[in-house]
Amino acid sequence: MKWLGFILKSMRRSRLRTLLILGTMTFGVLVVALLLSLLTTLDSVANNPNSTNRIVVRHKSGLTQVLPRSYEAYLRQQPEVETVCGLQWFGGFYQDPRNFFANFASDEETLFQVFREEFGTSGITEEQLKEYKRDGTGCIVGKALADKFGWKVGDTIPLTGTIFPISPRLTIRVIFKSPKPSDENVIHFHYKLLEEGVPRMKGRVGTFFVRTKSPDDIPRLIERIDRNYANSAAETLSETENSFNLSFVKMLGNINVLLQGISLVVLVALVFVSFSTMAMAIRERTTEISVFRALGFSTGRVMGLVILEGLVLTGSGGALGLGLTWLLAAVLRPVMGSVFPFFQDFAVQAPTMLLCMGGALGVGFVSTFMPAYEAVRKPITEGLKTL
Amino acid sequence: MGDGPIIVLRDIAKSYWRETLEIPVLHGIDLEIPEGGYYALMGPSGSGKTTLLNLIAGIDRPTGGTLKVCGFELNDLDDDELAAWRNQHVGFIFQNYNLVPVLNAFENVELPLLLTGLSRRGRRERVEHALELVNLTDRMLNYPRQLSGGQEQRVAIARAVVTDPDLLVADEPTGALDGKNAEEVLQLMERLNQDLGKTILMVTHDPKAAHHARMQIHLEKGLLDKTVEVNR
Repeated sequence: MKWLGFILKSMRRSRLRTLLILGTMTFGVLVVALLLSLLTTLDSVANNPNSTNRIVVRHKSGLTQVLPRSYEAYLRQQPEVETVCGLQWFGGFYQDPRNFFANFASDEETLFQVFREEFGTSGITEEQLKEYKRDGTGCIVGKALADKFGWKVGDTIPLTGTIFPISPRLTIRVIFKSPKPSDENVIHFHYKLLEEGVPRMKGRVGTFFVRTKSPDDIPRLIERIDRNYANSAAETLSETENSFNLSFVKMLGNINVLLQGISLVVLVALVFVSFSTMAMAIRERTTEISVFRALGFSTGRVMGLVILEGLVLTGSGGALGLGLTWLLAAVLRPVMGSVFPFFQDFAVQAPTMLLCMGGALGVGFVSTFMPAYEAVRKPITEGLKTL
Repeated sequence: MGDGPIIVLRDIAKSYWRETLEIPVLHGIDLEIPEGGYYALMGPSGSGKTTLLNLIAGIDRPTGGTLKVCGFELNDLDDDELAAWRNQHVGFIFQNYNLVPVLNAFENVELPLLLTGLSRRGRRERVEHALELVNLTDRMLNYPRQLSGGQEQRVAIARAVVTDPDLLVADEPTGALDGKNAEEVLQLMERLNQDLGKTILMVTHDPKAAHHARMQIHLEKGLLDKTVEVNR
């Protein structure tokens, strides 16, 4: 038996108490890790590194309004602009309204240029691309989505419109991969198909995604575009793609502050619960601690053993909590991802794990240090009582 | 029995403080105990015998005087040095055994050896030898709750001798035991003194227990009253 063996045995002193602390830490870390992971996911929505040189131009009155197609020519003329892609949220579903995923009518010629990073590692061959462009009812589907419904290239899938009164039957021409799971849960089909089926969309588009030559160009470009269409029949609102995405996150309210607040409250509650339980446990061992000191254990060693016991306990709880969070994230990803697309990227990242483990160990240290210090500060004779 | 004194006390005083009130417990104690001696510290409650034992064992500090135990001036040692000194030179036997409930007999005896540089094998040999000495080899894997009071005290004695200390201090070692178990423990302590040459200092109220010692020191109101040899 050496120190770790002794600590593990010592934790069996009151199994119920040990299990309760373990359970408290596990649950606490689970809650904090989930909230922090959600924050990280939301943050990645608003800070997508691939979006740094893209802007979104839409109708100033909101996303339900559309812009004239003719704006595209003006956008292309701007010296800072590399290329432009018209994109319209279609909002259709497959077979059942619960089968929700992102689906867009998009310009097939420029889609792959504007979203170069997203399609860069997609594995799409020239042959497939040619086939997609040739087939007016063709579509491209992300791998995760294809896997979910068991689709393969050549399959025909009916998409029922909810915003527009058409239900196109699309033939899968390409199944592409993407580094981000949320980018794989999407269907793109030809914009012409939407224009043909919905007369009011002819010559109109919901959003223009503009790729600029340099991120440095964006501020003046945004300003110029909006100034150009000010006081027109269809005024524009131009913004960076990250800012555009952030507007969807903001629909959830000031969630960042809320989640951070809850995490902090949970952490403080953990410290208090853990502190009182540990203090009680250590107080019950005052005599034993004095015996250890009488046998020759130095004050520092006794304190170290007690604190280490607390760290092992809360650290184990933290590790268990993180393990459960990881499992829960895997469950939540597809379930919540069908409602909130950004949830498809929901994962417990390494910094969150480190932060949570650090927090768990911090709780262990804070909750044992003071009671242990009090116990070793007491004279041995007082602790022993009988000797 | 060795030649020189293992314990030398000069003008030892000890007071406790209750807020601003000083409560003197020991007054100017001078005492010498030879190596290999077996002394019983006796006296009425409040006479200061446990306080004196605590000072000699190095778990309390005097308010006045000097004490030299096992060749060390205890006043000169800081807390960590004193702890290390206790581990090497003193074995403790408590009235309530004070075994660690989550450790079995073997592990309880092994505890003081964890502070030494001994290997796992070296520790095992020492522990087995100590348990053999108290005749509890067959109980080494039992936990304190699985042992009788007498057996628990014998495990405590094994823990006290496992580091081969020069001095054993015992505070009412038979106070929680019935007659038969008390007698066994006292005989064991006598053997430790006679066969292994351990110096033993035992606080007791029990004249029968005190009769097992070779000398009896009587304290009265914090003063050394008399030291008498036990006639057998």
